[in-house]
Amino acid sequence: MSTALGKSVVATPPRRVSLARRIGRIEPVMLLWILLIGALLFLVAFPLGKLFLVSFETRGTGAFTLSNYVTAYGRARYIEAVVNSLTLGLASATIAVVLAVPMAWAVSRTDMPGKGLTWTVVLGAFILPPYLGAVGWILLAGPNSGFINVFWRWLTGSESPFFNVYSFEGLALVIALNAFPLVFIFVKSALDLVSSEMEDAANILGAGTWTAMRKVSLPLVWPAIMAGFIIVFLETIALFGTPAIIGIPARINVVTTQLWQFFEYPVRVEVAAAYAMPLLLVTAGMIATQKLLLSRKGYVSQTGKGGERRPIKLGAWRWVMFAWCAMVGMIAVAMPLFVLLQASFAKAWGRGLSLDNLTFANYYLLIFEHDMAMTSIWNTIWFSATAATIAVLLALMVAYIVNRRLVPFGEVLGFLALAPFVIPGIVMAIGFYAAYAAPPLSLYGTAALIILAFAARFLPIAYANSSSAIRAVHPEMEEAARILGSGRLHAIRMITAPLVKKSLLGGWLIVFIVASRELSAAIFLVGPRTRTMSVLLYDLSEAGNFEVLAAFGGLLLVVTLIFVGIGMKLVGRDFMLRRG
Amino acid sequence: MSRLSILGLTKAYGRTRVVDNIALTLEEGEFVSLLGPSGCGKTTTLRMIAGFVEPTEGQISLDGEIISAPGSVLPPERRTMSMIFQSYAVWPNMTVAENVAFGLKLRKLPSAETKRRVGEILEVVQMSHLAERYPSELSGGQQQRVALARAIVVKPAVLLLDEPLSNLDANLREEMRFEIRRLHDEFRITTVYVTHDQAEAMATSDRIAVMNAGRIEQVDAPHLLYTRPRTRFVAGFIGRTNLLQAQVENGEIGFGGISVGVGQVAGAEAATTRDILVSVRPQSIGLHRQRPVGEHPILAGVVAQRTFLGETWDYVVRSEEAGGLRLRATAPPSQIHEVGEKVWLEFDPRQMAMVE
Amino acid sequence: MTGITKRTVLGATAAITAAAILPARRAAAQTYTAHEQQLYDAAKAEGEVTWYTGQLQAQPSEAVGHAFTDRFPGVRCNVVRTTSQVAFQRLSQDYRASVAQCDVFSSTDYSHFTFLKREGRLMEYRPVNAAGMVKAAREAADPDGYFQVTYLALYLLARRSDNLSEADAPKSWRELTDPKWRNKMAVGHPGFSGAIGNWAIMMRKAYGEPFFREFARNNPQVGRSAGDPVTTLNAGERMLGVAVPSAATLFSASRGNPLTLIYPTDGTLMVAAPSGAIKSAPKPNAAKLFMEFMTSPAYSEATRGFYAESLRPEVRPPEGSRPLDELTLISPTPEEVENGIPEVRELWRDIFGV
Repeated sequence: MSTALGKSVVATPPRRVSLARRIGRIEPVMLLWILLIGALLFLVAFPLGKLFLVSFETRGTGAFTLSNYVTAYGRARYIEAVVNSLTLGLASATIAVVLAVPMAWAVSRTDMPGKGLTWTVVLGAFILPPYLGAVGWILLAGPNSGFINVFWRWLTGSESPFFNVYSFEGLALVIALNAFPLVFIFVKSALDLVSSEMEDAANILGAGTWTAMRKVSLPLVWPAIMAGFIIVFLETIALFGTPAIIGIPARINVVTTQLWQFFEYPVRVEVAAAYAMPLLLVTAGMIATQKLLLSRKGYVSQTGKGGERRPIKLGAWRWVMFAWCAMVGMIAVAMPLFVLLQASFAKAWGRGLSLDNLTFANYYLLIFEHDMAMTSIWNTIWFSATAATIAVLLALMVAYIVNRRLVPFGEVLGFLALAPFVIPGIVMAIGFYAAYAAPPLSLYGTAALIILAFAARFLPIAYANSSSAIRAVHPEMEEAARILGSGRLHAIRMITAPLVKKSLLGGWLIVFIVASRELSAAIFLVGPRTRTMSVLLYDLSEAGNFEVLAAFGGLLLVVTLIFVGIGMKLVGRDFMLRRG
Repeated sequence: MSRLSILGLTKAYGRTRVVDNIALTLEEGEFVSLLGPSGCGKTTTLRMIAGFVEPTEGQISLDGEIISAPGSVLPPERRTMSMIFQSYAVWPNMTVAENVAFGLKLRKLPSAETKRRVGEILEVVQMSHLAERYPSELSGGQQQRVALARAIVVKPAVLLLDEPLSNLDANLREEMRFEIRRLHDEFRITTVYVTHDQAEAMATSDRIAVMNAGRIEQVDAPHLLYTRPRTRFVAGFIGRTNLLQAQVENGEIGFGGISVGVGQVAGAEAATTRDILVSVRPQSIGLHRQRPVGEHPILAGVVAQRTFLGETWDYVVRSEEAGGLRLRATAPPSQIHEVGEKVWLEFDPRQMAMVE
Repeated sequence: MTGITKRTVLGATAAITAAAILPARRAAAQTYTAHEQQLYDAAKAEGEVTWYTGQLQAQPSEAVGHAFTDRFPGVRCNVVRTTSQVAFQRLSQDYRASVAQCDVFSSTDYSHFTFLKREGRLMEYRPVNAAGMVKAAREAADPDGYFQVTYLALYLLARRSDNLSEADAPKSWRELTDPKWRNKMAVGHPGFSGAIGNWAIMMRKAYGEPFFREFARNNPQVGRSAGDPVTTLNAGERMLGVAVPSAATLFSASRGNPLTLIYPTDGTLMVAAPSGAIKSAPKPNAAKLFMEFMTSPAYSEATRGFYAESLRPEVRPPEGSRPLDELTLISPTPEEVENGIPEVRELWRDIFGV
């Protein structure tokens, strides 16, 4: 028996290993890493870099200039649009927080009845495309003809409308009604992690339910509330459809509608790029502020499972909470959806509900006579499906490499994959336009441009999803396969892939669904043959025929609901609303 | 030729050397444990053997062929080893039988042969009746048996176990520890076993390599580690001990006023300095009410503290005679001394060891 | 609701079904001129034509596309209908990206065509059928044969007949600055609609910039396309539509909406809206064939159901439309349009904020 003490043995230098063997032993993962870096640079870094460069270029010659910035900020109207956007973002985010936080608290912490209904409301608001919600609210709250205002006048005999959708408040509310699910998902997930013992500790010291909520539960989830606020803010300043549909009649110009003007003939992408730059600064500023505000105090640990959780008994108050959720459900989903459906089956929607006003002609027109309608449905499905596949595959590979620490500087990949999250979609689209529309790639008007832009835009969703899926699979699962003789790729195929399949499918569907309703990025990138449903809806809204518009919105919802249904069936009821 | 040979193996992350120049050789069919506290580098060593971690320096060879060296690591899948993980890593998407058959299928065995061997090994680990179950339907111990069967069925060149029992409860742990040894006796697979539990290592291993701070302190058979610890760390880590300052003078080792011959204390003949450390196991100290007769060295003292541990009494005796020296000694449950009682301590030099 | 009779409902249904069914029935026996036949054969090989248009509303545009394919089976028409400015914007983007996608371009903005012609981006092609068009159309077409007039649009005022009587209603554009129309009007946007741009040029010419300031003070609801106010009126949101297209208004009225046209005493705006084939058209023969189609009687028949003015003497004017010679017509010159549109667009945006 040989006894070898580490210290006593003189280490001999290892024998040289032949070069051929060294190459034979390189893992394919390094090549993959290079490929992924390439893909991410192409999808994320290059369009943004190009956007930045273009903002300093003279049109035509490409010479350096600052004049784009002078043009972009040279008019009071343009600056006013920026101010409007920022104010609107703050207003919508505030409304969304006010709407969503009580709902999240009630669903997560209390014995409020009708939680299932609340979930449906949140899901409904989430899948209703913003511009469709906007049209619904025009039908509801047009100052003279909207159902709400007509009813109000009939009730009170008042001359003035109850609520005018064509106003700053109207615009902010309509956006918030669509965006509040983001806040809800964030806050509810965080509240789910707060142990009841936290509240018990406050109760035992003499705090009532409300005080405990105000002083303990909510402050603990402050980062989630803030994250939700920031997301809604970013979504709002990047939104195109709703401001175009409601903002123009309300005579409110915002950054996105102004950017659209720069795309009028002659297309001034250089000025648009210069105009978009501060949006990036605002975004960066928001994220920095968030970091600063959250850096000192301790908050709920996102991983902790500690302690039991049981619902707080609200007594009669639970009906108050329920009423709040029901009210949000009414104004965010039920009422807009109802008027849209009514309009879609109406000959003239202003004539209201009556049998002789009922028709299928709007649907008939779209399905059988309107070439573009069916083409756009098909476009939407395959663009979104391809984009979702690209995003999920790419995100999966990046998440795998980053989580398994396979390469040095893997975090760079992770950073790039998450970066589009903080870039307003419309800026991203202009970046894609600047980078790839013109030669040498000449992707303008092709499906590829839209697919790539969608894939890049929603990469962060896919990445967050893939990352948590990969993290849930213990690395030893794969190592066990490898030591038994399976190569890394084989191990991934046999072991990891089947284990993450379900949550990836969920991620795929979420990307698919958000891509299928995406307008802000699509509007700048579509060509005549690559129009998506969202763009066609927007075009229809210009044509002023609300009945056909509503019917097409109905078709869009049917398509979305089919995929949501598939997701619920395969992945679980709450797959869209999990925080991935 | 030895089966597995590790030479000058080092792993550094930045400036931290988590594994520091270790050497170890395993003979065919040998069962060696890497034992040490958490963070001592034992798991990193195991993962280097498996090929999951690339060494910074040194090399690992299997049957004379270098399989790991800086810049060149044979991937795990080409090492013909198998491994059992702390988390079991039983694949939840496959049944017990599919889990076990995985390695065999990769070796492209005929399906009848695969089926036969899976059946046999499941018989061995007493899991035949659960072959079609999914892992989520099994208990922790059963999952562990699946992991064992899966690793053994491929007849690996080396079997690696990474703290395989740390997630089991105490009773099951004891049962599985004998199970692992039984399987080793049956299949004689060269095995490297990583654990922080000395009882586990003692029960299973032919030899134990005690690791501390990235280095191997001592490699020996379990009983030799106990009776002949070579370092202060080993003496303290394996069982409990009294570490005493002693002086070597004229062929005698003296401490606390008593002296024993250098030749009687293990390892003392190699002493090169005057001041040395001697490990005296509490069990080797006799505890008497009356001064015993005999040639063994004796010290008088007073019981300063006592703890009843169930299987033994644990007494701390303070000896004024030896300049206030405090010594720990154990006694059977029936031997009861009160605190403050005067006792005599009897030492057996053959159970002492000089440590570095 | 008011103003609905069984007859109008039936009429509306008939109009919709007619648009769908009639061309299909006609498809059975098609006769082509030799020239058409020759182009048709070449176009069949190309298979499709892509038409960017901001001229007609979505529904008639689609109907034109169908009528074309019914007349020339095997040549599909991709109808890309938006507002004129957006259509032109897309064409500009195509050009800037060096991508040829559009075969035929139609807009309500004459200046688009003078610009494209100057830039050498239009195909020189005078359709044989153009010789048989009405005088107004022939006169407004390009003398060098680069583009034809395929739509004579009239823009005027429309009122809700149920809550604004003929006596109370304004008679002229000038009266729109009267504060009594505050919060009662709806109008399109020159940034989106070429027709509104034309109208704004004429208003600026007649009444100067103060007209817009006073008009804006009356807070009209600003939509995007010229047709938007029709919907706004139908909804009851506003009662007076400004610079609405006659065709869309008459069509909407035919569906039972209580709308009545007002021909302004200071001139009904007539916009000659051209179409031209693009020089870099990917399907050049289909493009020429489409130009032949748009100057032929089949096109006027297809659009007549949507109350477009007839461009061919053999096709009757649409129901409810006044003969052109009874009206005071105003039209900007091509030069006025080309220089004026960007100016009035900026003027508008400075005044209205959007």
